[in-house]
Amino acid sequence: MNPRHALLLSTLLCYGLAVSSQAHAFDLGNALKDAVKQQTGGEATTGSEVQTPAGSASTQTSFNWKSPSPEEEMALGRQLAGNLLGAAPLVKDAKLQAYVNQVGRWVASQTDRQQLAWHFGVIDSDDLNAFATPGGYILITKGLYRKLDNEAQLAGVLGHEVAHVVKKHHLKVLQKSQLLNLGASVIGDKVGKGDQTLDKVIGSGAEMMARGLDKDAEYEADRVGVALSVRAGYDGYGLPEVLQTLGQVNQSDDSVTLLFKTHPSPEDRLTRLGDAIGSRLDGVNEGKLLADRFYRLPK
Amino acid sequence: MDMRTLLGLALLLPMLAVAAETGTALKDDSLRAEPYADAKLNGKFTRGEKLEITGKQGAWLKVKTTKSTGWVRLLSVKRGTSTAGSSATGVLNVASGRAGTGQVVSTTGVRGLSAEELKAASYNAAEVQLLESYTVTHTQAQQFAVSGKLSAIEFKGLAASKEAE
Repeated sequence: MNPRHALLLSTLLCYGLAVSSQAHAFDLGNALKDAVKQQTGGEATTGSEVQTPAGSASTQTSFNWKSPSPEEEMALGRQLAGNLLGAAPLVKDAKLQAYVNQVGRWVASQTDRQQLAWHFGVIDSDDLNAFATPGGYILITKGLYRKLDNEAQLAGVLGHEVAHVVKKHHLKVLQKSQLLNLGASVIGDKVGKGDQTLDKVIGSGAEMMARGLDKDAEYEADRVGVALSVRAGYDGYGLPEVLQTLGQVNQSDDSVTLLFKTHPSPEDRLTRLGDAIGSRLDGVNEGKLLADRFYRLPK
Repeated sequence: MDMRTLLGLALLLPMLAVAAETGTALKDDSLRAEPYADAKLNGKFTRGEKLEITGKQGAWLKVKTTKSTGWVRLLSVKRGTSTAGSSATGVLNVASGRAGTGQVVSTTGVRGLSAEELKAASYNAAEVQLLESYTVTHTQAQQFAVSGKLSAIEFKGLAASKEAE
């Protein structure tokens, strides 16, 4: 069984279990067949060719939760990013925003999702945090940006967020919760798929941003983030350096409440990264820090 | 020139001479006489042990335990005294120029991003448009990389360590 099928199966198992606890009439066999067809059919093709029932593609009235196309993924991420921007708008500094997009896009170019548009922004908040939403929308707070010292550290932070997008961490969480809802509404003999509009998922999106991902997703994003910065030619220790900095912030400080609630402790993240890195970076060409080029915010 | 010679030369470069900063061992590890993996062993320390950080070179920290002195990979040490307290910026920050920005003093427009604020926020279309207006293409990013003399290299990726699983 390839990993994709294993994942699909486990997703469907969760789906099936949750549904069967509510009723017994649900036809898991058919749902499985349908989903396998869509996943395998969708995987090898481009987004627009993903098999979806006629007329139910990326419109506002329907969203293919089983196998979202890249367009649907981006539309979803755009909504969630728009909500984050509703909480904290962009810092009005065009040079800063341009710089962050250049660094971020270069890091994202080291992934296998180069076809995404990738948008990066610094938001006006003194919190220390960064966010990724599906489809390549990435926001970092001004508070965290101010803690950075060089371009390698910025690349590390953005690499961690890019990893969430590439690994579809948030998308998978939303898919799971929406498929559960979908299952419930099928059982309840209500409108099924047609009822799952994008708007309705925004509440659960904000909920997810506030609750965070599971720890393994964060550890994985740390590892991928380091790997991406190394591939991009940066010093691979940028992200660990930022984690060291975060580890020195007083945990009771308001600026880190959400960050520490939604992520494992900097200590645990450093330990895991240390174990994963080991001697792996020893033979690698010396990466760049680019402290001189780093865009510094006015005091 | 072989690797060892290069390392030897690197050692001649002035090491960051800094006043001591405190750290805590994140894991059991060995001290080395020089900052590279196959250097002579110079003692060991255990997880949770307090260390004094006296220098840094590349990915290595020079530390002092109660028993000995030596070099250790920087990811084996958490800088600072404890997770709960210190907001001291520390000597390494001073050395790397971070001093002065370490303590963020908020000026105007303090905004929080609490869980409640995230849930209460509503979509801001104008800001989304502005965000998208800064988008850079792959080609533009390549030019940016070239101007910083950054070159992409092959690097396979990092697996989760087996111990952690």
